[in-house]
Amino acid sequence: MQRIKLRQAGWLDRWQSLSGAILAGFLFIHLHLESSILLGKDAFYKVARMLEAGFLDPSGHGYPSVIVVFGLGLFAVLMVHAIAAIRRFPTKYKQWKILKEFSKTVPQRETNLWQLQLVSGFVLFFLVPVHLLGIVMNPGSIDPNLSAFRIVEQGFGFLYMALLPVAVIHALIGVYRLAMKWFGDKLPREKIFKGATVVTCWLILLGTTSLIVWYYTGITSLPTPLTPYSPL
Amino acid sequence: MSRQLTFKIFRYDPLQPEIKPYTQEYQLEEASGMTVFIALNLIREKQDPSLQFDFVCRAGICGSCAMVINGVPTLACRTLTKQYEDGIVTLLPLPGFGLIGDLSVDTGKFMRSISERLQAWLEPKDHEVDIHSLEIPMESEEAEAIYEADRCIECGCCVSSCATAQMRDTFVGAVGFNKVARFALDSRDSREVEDFYHIIGDEDGVFGCMTLLGCQDNCPKDLNHQGQIAYLRRKISMSDRII
Repeated sequence: MQRIKLRQAGWLDRWQSLSGAILAGFLFIHLHLESSILLGKDAFYKVARMLEAGFLDPSGHGYPSVIVVFGLGLFAVLMVHAIAAIRRFPTKYKQWKILKEFSKTVPQRETNLWQLQLVSGFVLFFLVPVHLLGIVMNPGSIDPNLSAFRIVEQGFGFLYMALLPVAVIHALIGVYRLAMKWFGDKLPREKIFKGATVVTCWLILLGTTSLIVWYYTGITSLPTPLTPYSPL
Repeated sequence: MSRQLTFKIFRYDPLQPEIKPYTQEYQLEEASGMTVFIALNLIREKQDPSLQFDFVCRAGICGSCAMVINGVPTLACRTLTKQYEDGIVTLLPLPGFGLIGDLSVDTGKFMRSISERLQAWLEPKDHEVDIHSLEIPMESEEAEAIYEADRCIECGCCVSSCATAQMRDTFVGAVGFNKVARFALDSRDSREVEDFYHIIGDEDGVFGCMTLLGCQDNCPKDLNHQGQIAYLRRKISMSDRII
């Protein structure tokens, strides 16, 4: 019985860390790829084709199913992370009360960061599946025109406005805590913290700028009737 | 003319539950090199003999005078009042321990139970001790590593700085991890590393630690809890028993 308990604790801790690291890494790449809209519709179109494995398709268009499979895989990682992380949530009212009181009497940066992760994690649990399943259930919708339409006309822009800061803050606090958790004896704490802060600011800036450009694109240059973008 | 210090001190006597906890203020003239411990003694001597707090060594060795000073669990005898620019010092008892009265808490009960639970004592390899035989010399690196872990004075500041320990009273905490590490390092101990890891390889042990690092930030002896816990976590994860 004790062995099972031991195994479970170790597994959960490692799966939580590993899945979190994968998701944080994905977020970093995702925001950079998505920001290709800053370079114009053509650049975003090329990125979308590359992600859909257009290089394997003689027509160059690619296979939207690649995104579906990848999205489902990501959803699985998300579930693993949520299941492993949920055990960290205080489960009793008394624990929440202690936490609130403790944060007042012994204020401490990392405890505050963790509480921020608790709240952001809870929010992400509801927001990320909407975004992820929205993409998975609409294969081929990663396109300069269709994405702009989704953001501006279908209101997904509001979802992304909420997702961007919450996801980035949750991820970067997580990366910092992860580094300290497993390599606290090897890594410089304050340098890692500063690095995570810089990356947080960068990603929020990048994502916000991209979102502004998406709105601009959606308002000024959507074809009527709506058709996928085709390069000149 | 020295400045006036204001001490805001938590007051409560569990033996008088009809009097609710309250904060009492004391004014005191600051002296050169004054510590919070000295100030508390002056307050008790000249203003209020009913004030309860603990001390023994006055030199940061016994850990008795640990309390929350302006939001930081630390030792009163090593805290200079001059560092508080506004001259206001708020004192609370260490959270997470049984309150004896005012600033005095019972850390002993907690430390004893942790020691018993973790079996934090030396289990010699040879129980038959021949006092005439020469003692086996210890490598100086090993002795230093043990000494480093042994610097823990069990003041309880790490437990009082840890939100995990506050929320879950079964959590071992940094002081417990340090105890395990101390005996795991000792070549005279008969137990295998896995035996120690078996004690702390669950949710109440290293896998329950949420890396909130309060232990690291507030240890009055500057022990490297952050490094020690990360090392233990990695080791226990890599152990053959725990896949």
